[in-house]
Amino acid sequence: MATMTAKDFATATPSWWCPGCGDFGVLSALKAALAELGKQPHQVAFISGIGCSGKISGYVHSYAFHGVHGRALPVATAVKLANRDLTVIAAGGDGDGYAIGAGHFVHAVRRNADITYIVMDNQTYGLTKGQASPTSATGYVASVSPDGNPDSPINGLALALAAGASFLARGFSAQPKHLVQMIKMAIEHKGFSIVEVMSPCVTYNKINTYAWFKEHLSDVSNSEGYAPDDRSAAFNALTREGSIPMGLIYQEHRPTLEDRTGLPALPIAHLDLEASRGQYAAMLAHYR
Amino acid sequence: MIVNRLEVMFGGQAGDGSLTTGDLIAGVFKRMGLEVYTYKDFPSRIRGGHTNYVIRASESRDYGMADAVDALVAFDLEAVQAHIDEMRPGGFVIFDNTSEVVDGALRREDVTWYEIPLAKIAKTEIGLELVRNTICIGVLGALVGMDPQIVRNDVTGVYKRKGEKVVDLNIRAIEAGEAYVREHFADRPSGHGLQAKTDGDRLIMMGNDAIAYGALVAGCRFMAGYPITPATDVLEWMSKELPKFGGIVVQAEDELAAITMTLGAAFAGVRAMTATSGPGQALMTEAIGLAGVLEIPVVVVECARTGPSTGMPTKTEQSNLNHLIYSGHGEIPRVVLAPGTITESFDLTVAAFNLAERWQLPVFLLTEQALCQSKATLRPFDIDAVRIDRGKLIDDGEVTFGEYKRFAFTDDGVSPRVIPGVPGGMHLAAGSEHNDAGVITENAHNRARMMEKRMGKLVAMRDELPRAVLHGVADADIGIIGYGANTGPIAEAVDRLSAAGVPVRFLQLRTLWPFPEDEIRVFIHGAQHVFVVENNFTGQLDRLIRTVVGPLDVLHGVRKYDGRPFRPVEIIEAIQRTAQTGAALEVH
Repeated sequence: MATMTAKDFATATPSWWCPGCGDFGVLSALKAALAELGKQPHQVAFISGIGCSGKISGYVHSYAFHGVHGRALPVATAVKLANRDLTVIAAGGDGDGYAIGAGHFVHAVRRNADITYIVMDNQTYGLTKGQASPTSATGYVASVSPDGNPDSPINGLALALAAGASFLARGFSAQPKHLVQMIKMAIEHKGFSIVEVMSPCVTYNKINTYAWFKEHLSDVSNSEGYAPDDRSAAFNALTREGSIPMGLIYQEHRPTLEDRTGLPALPIAHLDLEASRGQYAAMLAHYR
Repeated sequence: MIVNRLEVMFGGQAGDGSLTTGDLIAGVFKRMGLEVYTYKDFPSRIRGGHTNYVIRASESRDYGMADAVDALVAFDLEAVQAHIDEMRPGGFVIFDNTSEVVDGALRREDVTWYEIPLAKIAKTEIGLELVRNTICIGVLGALVGMDPQIVRNDVTGVYKRKGEKVVDLNIRAIEAGEAYVREHFADRPSGHGLQAKTDGDRLIMMGNDAIAYGALVAGCRFMAGYPITPATDVLEWMSKELPKFGGIVVQAEDELAAITMTLGAAFAGVRAMTATSGPGQALMTEAIGLAGVLEIPVVVVECARTGPSTGMPTKTEQSNLNHLIYSGHGEIPRVVLAPGTITESFDLTVAAFNLAERWQLPVFLLTEQALCQSKATLRPFDIDAVRIDRGKLIDDGEVTFGEYKRFAFTDDGVSPRVIPGVPGGMHLAAGSEHNDAGVITENAHNRARMMEKRMGKLVAMRDELPRAVLHGVADADIGIIGYGANTGPIAEAVDRLSAAGVPVRFLQLRTLWPFPEDEIRVFIHGAQHVFVVENNFTGQLDRLIRTVVGPLDVLHGVRKYDGRPFRPVEIIEAIQRTAQTGAALEVH
C-alpha cells in the first residue's frame, strides 16, 4: 500500500468557510493525522454536527455523515458498535457539542466507546450570523445578547473530566504540527478521546482572535512536573484562572464500551444473518 | 352451566402479585387446551394503586376482552368498587373479607359472592400473607374446574427457582383454597366450568415479545432505546437475547440518542431498530426526517399509549396515527404497519425490516398497549418461511470511486447502498439536500428530482405492502374498518352480528401508510353503512378515509377514548343503533 498523504483525504467539494476561518486549520490537521496514521479513506467514518464546523464532513474523503444538530455523538457511537473495525471520528462546534448536544456529550464520554471527538470551538454561532455560544465569555455582545451575554461560559473539558473522560487534549488551529500530534494521539487512544480545538471565527468573534489565543494559550507540557495521568492536576489546570491549557491534558486507560459489552471481534455489520436461523425455534420453548 | 367461556379479572393493589397470579392462571388455561387472551390494566406506579389483570379463556381465538367479567377476584374493596358494574349477571365474585366488607348497592344480587378471609388463611394456615394470591388460584380452580394436576405443575414451575420451601408453601396454599371451597361452598356452584382439551402445538406470548422475537429472526442486531411504558418490554427482551447472536443493545440517554444511534448502526450496515411510545416518538421526529432524506433503513416500533403529554402511560389509545403519518418538517417517504394479533406482531415486524431495507426508508410498526402488553395463545411462528431481503445492499467487495453514486437515480427510486468499510464507496451522507453523488447542492432541478426519487418509492412499493385482511361476510351491506388492537373485538362483533342474522364485513387495515386507498374504496363501494372503529377522540382514521373517498353519508365514527380497549358489545350496540336510525353516534 502506497504511503498516504493528506491529499488522499481531500474531497473535490469546495469549502463554504470564510477565508481565514480557523476550521481550515482543523481540516488540514485532521487529514494529515489520518494520513500519518496510515488510515485508508474507506476505513474512516466521519460524523459531523450542524453549523459552520459541521460542514467539515463534506471535505474529508471518507464515509461521512452530516446529520442533525447536536447528535453526532450518538451516531458515531453506534457506527463504532456496528463496525468496530472502522476508525470513527465525530466533529462539531461548541454549540453543537456543548449546547444542543450537551446531553449526548456527557453520556458519550462516560460510555467510553473507542471514538474521537473534535470540538471546533470558536466561541460563537457562526452560521446563524453571530450569536453567543455556550463558550462565549460573559458580557460577549452579540445579535441576541446586545447588552452582553448574561451566561457564564461552559468548560467543556472540565465537564468531560467530571463525566469520566479517558482522553482530553486541546489544540489551536493556528498551530498545525501540535494539532496533528494531538489528533493522532486521540485516534490512537483506546476509548473516547476529545480534542477541543480553538478555532477562531474571523467574521463574528472579534474578541477571541488568533492573536488573543496566542496570548492566552499555554501548553501544559511546559509546566514542570505536569503528569497527564493525574486527574486532579488536570482538573486544576482546566479550571484555574489565567491561561488556557493546551496539549495532552489527561489520559487514562480504562475498558472501552466495546470491551465492557463483550462485543465480538467480528463487526456486527459483517454477521451472516442466515447463520443463526437454526437457533430460533428452540427459544419458543419458554412460551409453551 | 357455562362451559369453556370464562373471563376472570384479578383486582388489587399494584405490587401485590396479581400480575404473577394472572400469568399463572393464563398458563393453566392454555395447558387445558383453551384459547387465552390477557389484558393488563395497571397504574403507572410500582406499589399501590388499583391494578387488574383480565384473563379470558374460550374455545375460539378471541383477541380481546369479552362483553363483561364472569369472575371477579377482588383482593380489596376498591376492586369491587371499580369493577362490579362490569360484571355479567350470573357471574361470581371472590372477595377477601379479612378486613373489609361489601354492602349496600355494591353487593349486587345477580352475582354469587364467595367471601373468604384470604389474607387471614394465608397468615394463620400457611404462615405467609403473600400467598393469598395462590390460595385464590386454589379457590378459583375448585369453583370452575381447573385441572388440579396442571395447577400444581405450573405453580411448581413458576416458583421452583425460589427453592423447594417456596414451592411447598404455594402448593399448600393451593390446597387450602381448594379445601375452603369444598368445606364452605359445596352447595353453591359457580355456574362456570372448564373442560380440558389438548394443549397441542401452541404458544402463549405477549405482543411485545413477539415483536422482539420477530426482530431477532428478521436479523435485527442493534437496538437502542430509552425505557418508556409500554415499549420497555421490547428493549428488555432484546438486551437479554441480542448479545447471544453477536448483536448489541444500548440503553440511550434519551430518545434523541436512541433514534440517532439506530440511524448510525443502520448507516453502518446493521439491521437496527428502536422502540418507544408517544412522548419518545415526538422526540424522534427530527431524526426520522433525516432517515428519510438519507435513505437509511430503520425500524421504529411505537407501542402507543394514552396521550397527550404523559397522558395515561399504562393505558391504550390509537391517537398517534396522525403523528406517525405526518410528523416532521419537510416530506419523506415512510411506512406505517399495524398488527392486529400477536402472530401479526411477529409477521409485520419481519416485513418492516425487509421493507425498510428494500426501500431504504423508515418503517413504523404501530401497536397499542392493549395488544403489545397482552398475551394470547397462538400457533408457533413459521421460522422457515421468514425471508431476509436486504435489498440493494453492497456490504462486501468494492465499488469504483467516482462511478459509484450513493443516491443514484433509478427506476424504483432505490439506489445501491454501500456501507462504511467497502473500498471505493466513500461519500457524504448529508441531511442537507444533495445530488446523486451525495454532494450538497441547492440546485432547483436536482431538488425536484430528488424529491420525486424519494417520494416515488411510496408508489413503487405498493405491491409489497402487507394487505388488509377481510373478515366476515364478503357481500354484507354493513362494513367496519379498523386496525390494531381493535381487530379482536371487531372481528368478534362481526361474527356475533352475522350469527344473529345481521351480516357484517370488516376490513382490517395492516398497512396504514402509504394509505391503502384502493382497498378502502373497493371495500366501501356498495355498503349501506361503514363504521370506522378507533380508540381516539377526533377520528384520525375516519378523517383519512374521508380525505380519500369523500364525505360519504355511509361513514360513521365509533370512537372510544377512555384509555380502555373496546369490548365487543360496545361495537355491536353502536352498529345496531345506527343501522336502524341512520344517525351517527359515538361510543364512550
